[in-house]
Amino acid sequence: MVKTQIQEIDTNIYDIKNADNYDFKMQKGITKEIVEEISKQKNDPEWMREFRLKALEVYNELEMPTWGPDLSELDMDEIATYVRPKTKLNTSWDEVPDDIKKTFDRLGIPEAERKSLAGVGAQYDSEVVYHSMKEDLIKQGVIYTDMETAIRDYPDLVKQYFMKCVPVNDHKFVALHGAVWSGGSFVYVPKNVKLDFPLQSYFRLNSPESGQFEHTLIIVEEGASLHFIEGCSAPKYNKVNLHAGCVELIVKDNAYLRYSTIENWSKNMMNLNTKKAMIGKNAQVDWVTGSFGSKISMLYPLSQLNGEGAKTEYTGISFAGEGQNLDTGFKAIHNAPNTSSVVNAKSISKNGGKCTYRSLIKISPKAKGSKSSVSCESLMLDDISISDTIPVNDIQTDEVEFSHEAKIGKISDKTIFYLMSRGISEEDAKAMIVRGFAYPISKELPVEYAVEMNNLINLELEGTIG
Amino acid sequence: MSNKTINETPVRTSKSFNINNIKINEDIFSKENSDFNNVEIINNSSKVNIENNKTPINLKYGLGEELVNEVKNYANQNFKIVVDSKTSTETSMFFNFDNNNTSLIENIDITAKEDTTSTIIIKYEAIKDLECYHNGVIKLNAKKNSNVKIVILNLLSDISNNFITIDNNIEESVNVEYTIVDFGGQNTVTNYYSNVQGDFAENNLNTIYIGKEKQVIDLNYIAELYGKKSKVNIEVQGALKDKAKKNFKGTIDFKKGCKKAKGEENENCMLLSDTAKSIALPMLLCSEEDVEGAHSSSAGKVGDKELFYIMSRGFDIKEAQKLLVRANFNKILDNIKNKEIKCKVCKEIDLRLD
Repeated sequence: MVKTQIQEIDTNIYDIKNADNYDFKMQKGITKEIVEEISKQKNDPEWMREFRLKALEVYNELEMPTWGPDLSELDMDEIATYVRPKTKLNTSWDEVPDDIKKTFDRLGIPEAERKSLAGVGAQYDSEVVYHSMKEDLIKQGVIYTDMETAIRDYPDLVKQYFMKCVPVNDHKFVALHGAVWSGGSFVYVPKNVKLDFPLQSYFRLNSPESGQFEHTLIIVEEGASLHFIEGCSAPKYNKVNLHAGCVELIVKDNAYLRYSTIENWSKNMMNLNTKKAMIGKNAQVDWVTGSFGSKISMLYPLSQLNGEGAKTEYTGISFAGEGQNLDTGFKAIHNAPNTSSVVNAKSISKNGGKCTYRSLIKISPKAKGSKSSVSCESLMLDDISISDTIPVNDIQTDEVEFSHEAKIGKISDKTIFYLMSRGISEEDAKAMIVRGFAYPISKELPVEYAVEMNNLINLELEGTIG
Repeated sequence: MSNKTINETPVRTSKSFNINNIKINEDIFSKENSDFNNVEIINNSSKVNIENNKTPINLKYGLGEELVNEVKNYANQNFKIVVDSKTSTETSMFFNFDNNNTSLIENIDITAKEDTTSTIIIKYEAIKDLECYHNGVIKLNAKKNSNVKIVILNLLSDISNNFITIDNNIEESVNVEYTIVDFGGQNTVTNYYSNVQGDFAENNLNTIYIGKEKQVIDLNYIAELYGKKSKVNIEVQGALKDKAKKNFKGTIDFKKGCKKAKGEENENCMLLSDTAKSIALPMLLCSEEDVEGAHSSSAGKVGDKELFYIMSRGFDIKEAQKLLVRANFNKILDNIKNKEIKCKVCKEIDLRLD
């Protein structure tokens, strides 16, 4: 039988490099002096300066992970942790320097903003270069701004929540983030305010041998509702870049948050990101995630279901091609009665790529009456790729309904035969199966992102199967 | 007093998930070098040779250096079993723990020659409330076209410590079936490894366990498939009551070249109290495209509807629970063809669920 050939994702629009023009680039490495200089450059308040230095101490104390992908290529002495682009924060695209604006134009951000978004933030290297939100949301008390502005204008709110959800001692790269973080978005949705259109932040890393450490803090008050989208990309360089962002989501009683992500970092990127949601009574957080880029990813969003009746859903897909090791998954901790979690994870690996689904579902003794259902499927498109499933299910009470199932394999010959018996060519049948495999995820994404994801997969299928 | 880390998973995950290994107080291992003489062997076939085992132990995984070295250096029972008959044979080895025989360190090496069919029953049983120590290695070499059934019964007391390492080498067109009944032991820790190297080879592993009071059960099952069209099926059914804790770590590893191989694992834990704890890590590792792999894992209390139905027939809740646990275990119990042994296991189930 002729082999199915599915090409790597076309990253042309993501790969366009701008000249490494910066206003300030920190020397490489991670030392107390460097952290103090970042704090000075960012004009931090004293509490933040102290926080950074404490996080650095924790970073120096913690070990590298003893599990997961090999991170030995990451040399922090070769990474610049702060790069300030040659522009200030702008509220109009016209004010953004031409080369940076063109980058975001190619990525379709201004167009999406005009068509279907309630607000947009755009980060370039270490700083947010554009932030804007619709007027009516400002009137309703919604705050959507960059983290630096939030620290200046809403210090009490930020201080109350900053790195409380994800403590700096969680793991080594969270501690690193705490020490050198820069940029990111702050969102506050007041009680009972429901946003009809999503907010979107886009993170672009242009500078070679550097890191991006943006911090996203979202607070959704009681009864409020928000859809937040984040996108990430970078052009490819020969040396390793690092992304160690942190996302903290505080979703209070009866509130709803959907957090959608398309990660399409370049294939020299180590993506060691941390995301966590604290979910209140009868509140819900849905994660929709597509992981396509990066050389190595270690990303496991965590939903902590703290309020009775809290819910979470995770819908994610990973696509690993040549030289990629995408170690992704999900964690749910049920800490209250009658909570529920639903996981639907898929992965496709090809051309020597490795996908790992790694997860934790923990149902604590307090979480009586809770339910959890986990399903993961892996599709392997050739015999040189690798696909692993490593789920941990920790059940600590009897009043639960818990089930987990996983499947691994290639495109079914029977299905191909069935489709061919209906007059569809073999190559169309195979392409249709791959599209169908990804469909449950893409249908959960906003239209523009679903299109982007389908483009990432589908366009390359055409003419390459046979 | 310090803890020793044993029974490591073949692939690590986050340390905070508390599943990569188990820590055991090292005082448990330091037993005096004692004799164990109460061994009963029932072997009706002249074609099964049982002799003193002098084969060096060579394991890919195992429970850990300390425990394996203990067997290498201090085994007080060594058996080499060679099955050399084309007719079906059944051999039983009963290790009976009593006041004079409380510590067993044994090394069993089994070779099933080509085209043989055999059943081997290994039972570890203690008199009531006897504190015992058991550390054993069972190594199986199943040669081409052989058919081997091994039944292992752990009926030790709940205050004992039970450590078993099983290592299988499975050749072409072999069918190896294990049925493990794991009931006894304050700590009962098993490391099971199968090298399914032969084409068309098949390995089925069926386990039932019951944990009660403060028992800790740690099962680490690893099957590596190398052979084309080879098959592995791991089925684990268990029940936990009181403050018992179970870790199940099941790994099916499809190695490159095992085309058309199939692997399935299913683990189900019935929780009979709200203080029992069940952790499961059913891993699928896959380096070959043309395979079918699946796993499922479930946990929860026995169904209210089923309980109600049985209780409406006049049974009290304890009896109803027992019936439901037995119903879940039955498919695995059916693999035990020796009626006497099966009957004993059923009685033990009732006793341990009382």
